[in-house]
Amino acid sequence: MTRRGSAFLVFVLALTIAFVANLSLGASIIAPNDIRAAFFQFDADNYDHFIVVYQRLPRVLIAVFTGSVMACGGAVLQGLMRNPLASPTLLGVNAGATLFVVGGVIFFGISSASQGLVALIGGAVGFAICLVVARMSGMDGNPKGLSLILSGAVVSMLLIGIANAFLLSSPELRNEFLGWMSGNINHVYFDRLELLWPVGVIGMGVLLVLSRALSLIALGSEKASSAGVNVTLVSRLAVGAVVLSCSAAVAICGPVGFVGLVVPHIVRPLVGANQTAVIPGCILVGATVCLIADMIARMAFAPFVLHTGLMMDMVGGVVFAIIVRRYYLTPGLRRSL
Amino acid sequence: MLSAQDLVVSYGKLPVLNGLSVRFDAGGVTALVGPNGCGKSTLLKSILGLMPKSGGSITLDDVPIESIPRRKLASRIAYLPQENHCPDYIVLGELIELAGYARYSLFGGPRAKDRALFRDVLQTVGLADMAHVPVNSLSGGQRQRAWIAMVLAQDADIILMDEPVNHLDMKYQYAVLDLVRTLGRDQGKTVIAVLHDLNLASAFADKVVMVSNGQATFSGPTQEVITPENIRTVFDFEADVFARNGQIVCLPSRGGALQAEAQ
Repeated sequence: MTRRGSAFLVFVLALTIAFVANLSLGASIIAPNDIRAAFFQFDADNYDHFIVVYQRLPRVLIAVFTGSVMACGGAVLQGLMRNPLASPTLLGVNAGATLFVVGGVIFFGISSASQGLVALIGGAVGFAICLVVARMSGMDGNPKGLSLILSGAVVSMLLIGIANAFLLSSPELRNEFLGWMSGNINHVYFDRLELLWPVGVIGMGVLLVLSRALSLIALGSEKASSAGVNVTLVSRLAVGAVVLSCSAAVAICGPVGFVGLVVPHIVRPLVGANQTAVIPGCILVGATVCLIADMIARMAFAPFVLHTGLMMDMVGGVVFAIIVRRYYLTPGLRRSL
Repeated sequence: MLSAQDLVVSYGKLPVLNGLSVRFDAGGVTALVGPNGCGKSTLLKSILGLMPKSGGSITLDDVPIESIPRRKLASRIAYLPQENHCPDYIVLGELIELAGYARYSLFGGPRAKDRALFRDVLQTVGLADMAHVPVNSLSGGQRQRAWIAMVLAQDADIILMDEPVNHLDMKYQYAVLDLVRTLGRDQGKTVIAVLHDLNLASAFADKVVMVSNGQATFSGPTQEVITPENIRTVFDFEADVFARNGQIVCLPSRGGALQAEAQ
């Protein structure tokens, strides 16, 4: 078996183990046999079956969805912008979606269903503001430059700051949204997943179809164009797919940051940098990382439950620093993406 | 046949190509030479539709280039940019495979015929046993040959190369240009290469186009174009031109060397 084939086998195994472990582990430990029985011989009076099907499974599916779309989005943005720090979190997508949902609920009392649509618009607006600010800096032409990332960080802070200000003005919603805003993978949001999963699945499907063209764009737009890629169309479709699918994830459980930043850097050394392998790899590993983060968040500080978004922020912050050092601050070791 | 007629291309308000007209017949190697900033690279990019033109026309077999769909154009013209960038962890085999993009269906990949071409291409550039090697771990000369292999794997009949021997030492310059000459003379490709070194141009090109001030000032067989008079006109520089073993050699004349020193 090739190295890439072996890597994918490991990814699938890891995802399967993390999936079952998340269903099994928690305040009460449920044996794999009982998990199987919960799916195939569901007994409404069995409390373990109830926990598996109505609490842990929804949570697991939200983690899988969020991890997959965020990691996929990070891989595509890093390739398109040829910047190792690009990710939905650092390009204003998550913050834009967050602000629009909070603002929509506070000022217009929008329903849970409408929050999804508003998040999609917010994610797109956040990303657009980030591009405009980068262009205003006059350094947007430098693909390796930090201008876009810095603009994204500033815009994200601004948008999240405004969202927090809105919440401060509305004490009754503050508690409800405080958890969601820190990336809360929770079974209570399953109705949102039922509504929004097609957005993420279609988005990832579009990215898979475009993956070969995206690999060529990572070689440079002139090279891609001369090889037959319509660079403008492919880039717009890919960014649209990323923004919409990641915004859908934010609408479900709030902004779970850094999955998009970290996972592509785990996947590339194992399967190569060809997006035809990186994108499926990120779908599998992104889901696994989110499941593991969720498991740690639930169990590491028991009886307290940490939000998954906070867990990822703590890991992601360290990885962010490592990437900056590796790609930007060590000239001799500077790698290309 | 590829030709440009009265081509005008500008960067903002600064005109780079100023009514340039040139014709490239099928087959052979043509060197584009001229001083820095005269518009050689811009001409190549304009041919590919990468630079918007503000006047004139570019035609491929009498068809305006802008009316040819991008995938179809990729099957006729391949391009080697001046600077090439490859992400880490991409191996040579994958790079070559990506070149066939224009031939693949939306959900498909390379077929047996494509794979045979890729093997031939790697053989041609002397990297047959290196398909599994990451591109960024190849040596400078190998890497340049890898990019040329990618261009060949596109299987186009016209190849545009922007300074293909930039950053290479003498040995690799000659190795790469030997390969380029083989493509033009033996494989029937039409190669148009931007070169800075007139000696390399005269050693490897069948024809030379001298570009200055955004126009094709001189054009024709190498020995007729590379003359002291033409070099003075285009480069504003005094050079002597000698014939040695059937090849032209250019050297700065005493006056030219002094002039360059003074500048």
